[in-house]
Amino acid sequence: MADHAAVHAIHDPNLGNTGLDNRKVGMWAFLGSDCMFFGSLIGTYLAYKGKSISGPLPHEVFDIPLTSYSAALLLASSLTMVLALAALQQNRLRPATGWLFATAMLGLHFVLNQVYEFTTFVLHHNLTLSTSLFGSTFFVLTGFHGAHVTGGVIWLLILVMLAMRGKLDARDYTKVEIAGLYWHFVDIVWIAIFTIIYLIP
Amino acid sequence: MADQHAVAATTHGGGGGHATVKTYINVAIVLAIITAVEVASLYIPGIPGPLLVISLLAMSAVKFFLVVGFFMHLRYDHPIMRALFVGPLLIAIAIILAVMALFSAFVLLPRVVL
Repeated sequence: MADHAAVHAIHDPNLGNTGLDNRKVGMWAFLGSDCMFFGSLIGTYLAYKGKSISGPLPHEVFDIPLTSYSAALLLASSLTMVLALAALQQNRLRPATGWLFATAMLGLHFVLNQVYEFTTFVLHHNLTLSTSLFGSTFFVLTGFHGAHVTGGVIWLLILVMLAMRGKLDARDYTKVEIAGLYWHFVDIVWIAIFTIIYLIP
Repeated sequence: MADQHAVAATTHGGGGGHATVKTYINVAIVLAIITAVEVASLYIPGIPGPLLVISLLAMSAVKFFLVVGFFMHLRYDHPIMRALFVGPLLIAIAIILAVMALFSAFVLLPRVVL
């Protein structure tokens, strides 16, 4: 079995000179750059915090129970993602597909909550992208995060479709692991946004 | 055969050992508890502002590193992967602090007026 692994490794075109999978290295490099991207957006939000000259203000519009529920959804989706990966590692394809689908649905629920939140802000509080510094920085930051989640949901649904057509098995572990890295990243960005934007007074 | 592939797939490409399902569930429980405490702390009257901010940031940092370390397997991964993520993360934190300092957004580093 060790020989089999060695042969598999020698002929794997995805392995670079470091012995690491190029796709995984690429994903970590992308996530590092995305960290700086979100860092700049969070920094901008904090720099302009409390400097809006017109309302509505954050404490007047934020729905903490709703966003707490959304945070719980993303945390739960991180668990289902690792359970999908663990099932795939053991070549248990049906549970792996089920957990992947559950992850996508939890992510979709998060996106729908965000759509509801944005709609409420615009229609009931007259808060738009151009209303105030708060509106601009809030919508840009959370909107980009929502776009990341939406991309992740689409990626997960593609993996589910591949699995249902029998085109995904334990040999594709790295493909799913990379999707998982991306998915957990949107979770940790939300952990930061949830605390910094919503919870800190 | 499939099991051999499964093992082979995880023994190359930079992945070290991974946490067990039990560990994943325990981490998820801890994450849920911390999130509940975070939200509950907003509704407890009498907590001084600075203490609330510091404790919220600390709890958020613990959640962040639990997800990165266990769910993203960075704890078990190759040092190159760790460097690729932690390096830019430190730069991102520096960007946030620098932008806040430039805009006098927090009192710890007040802008000096000459």
